[in-house]
Amino acid sequence: MRTLLVWLAGALSLAGSSQAALASGWNMPVGVTDLSREIYNLHMTIFWICVVIGVIVFAVMFYSLIRYRHAKGAKAANFHENTTVEVIWTAIPLLILVGMAVPATATLKKMYDTSDAELDVMVTGQQWRWHYEYLGEDVAFTSNMSTPRAQIRGDEPFGENYLLEVDQPLVLPINRKVRFLFTADDVIHAWWVPDFAVKQDTIPGFINENWVRINEPGIYRGQCAELCGRDHAFMPIVVHAMEEDDFDTWLAERKEAAAEEALGVEREWQKEELMERGEAVYASICASCHQPDGEGSPPAFPALAGNQRMLEDREWHTNVIIDGVSGTAMPAFRSTLNPVELAAVVTYTRNAWGNDTGSEVQPSTIAQRLGQ
Amino acid sequence: MWTVIKSVLAAFFGVQKEQQRREDFEQGRPGAFIVTGLVMAAFLVGILAFVAILVSR
Ligand SMILES: [Cu+2]
Repeated sequence: MRTLLVWLAGALSLAGSSQAALASGWNMPVGVTDLSREIYNLHMTIFWICVVIGVIVFAVMFYSLIRYRHAKGAKAANFHENTTVEVIWTAIPLLILVGMAVPATATLKKMYDTSDAELDVMVTGQQWRWHYEYLGEDVAFTSNMSTPRAQIRGDEPFGENYLLEVDQPLVLPINRKVRFLFTADDVIHAWWVPDFAVKQDTIPGFINENWVRINEPGIYRGQCAELCGRDHAFMPIVVHAMEEDDFDTWLAERKEAAAEEALGVEREWQKEELMERGEAVYASICASCHQPDGEGSPPAFPALAGNQRMLEDREWHTNVIIDGVSGTAMPAFRSTLNPVELAAVVTYTRNAWGNDTGSEVQPSTIAQRLGQ
Repeated sequence: MWTVIKSVLAAFFGVQKEQQRREDFEQGRPGAFIVTGLVMAAFLVGILAFVAILVSR
């Protein structure tokens, strides 16, 4: 009996140190939404149920091992069955499991309730970046990892947010219910932000839903949580949660910029403008596979520098970027890039790294090709 | 009939008295146990579905 008490005391001192475990980062975070807090509490409740069961089971086991050891002349009881004991050891786990299922189901129901959202964001996973679209707001952009390759290669010291930083974070308002619609363009990815307790698979051809209502402004980071290919580790998530007013201002600015961009489709672009824009698009979208110097990494990602077929056939080159090439790693960019970006990147790849075709493509031509 | 139902319930739960088991094997007909088992399994599924519908409303 004394052994049992020692074990229980040990368990209690463990309980006291769970706060320390939280601070050390070993535990899951409490997070910044009501639901993430609830999930955390559920996790801790079930954890402590398991601890109590473990302590009792091991206490009884060690007590029996020591108290009734052979050296003290204990004789084994030789009986075959005891229905009462069997009923008890079946009924108790049944009750514990049902008891755990009740709060778990209640929380799960809340997680699935995406009704009455004030903002819808479409999240699309791509090899290897995230694309965000604010539905009904005409605002969409791609979010790429911004950690310099030199840090990854080890030529430079690691930055503060090594592999957890992006060029354009997802911007969300606090205190508003935001619904996410998750899908993917190529393979299965998973959008995981621990502080929101959201980890949702993004599956090509399917739409998964989840939601958040963030309580505190801040910057929250996450990662792709489903092995999705070579650069799986290089598609982080950064969410910038803003005060509602700040968010409205940000969204209005982005809408204006998008409208301006739409006007850009109509006008004639200078080749230099296209090259400059194309270089930026190439760096954020294409360079991860075809490399910054256009040399690619054959055979999966062919070289673009000196690519004969591409240089001779502008039409084919344009189509490959718009529609992708089925059966290869080349995705279609018709919905990810707008006509200006498409025209710019076609022009850039036809004239960079010694590809001096001198030929260019105008955004208006692309818009026609897209049937817009 | 009642003993058959009790034995099927014991099988669902996973615990049966050795004496009852022996009696079932000596006196019972397999067909009765199989039919009762299927009917009661359907019942169990129905009850679980009902609980799930109740909870998800
Ligand atoms: Cu991924």
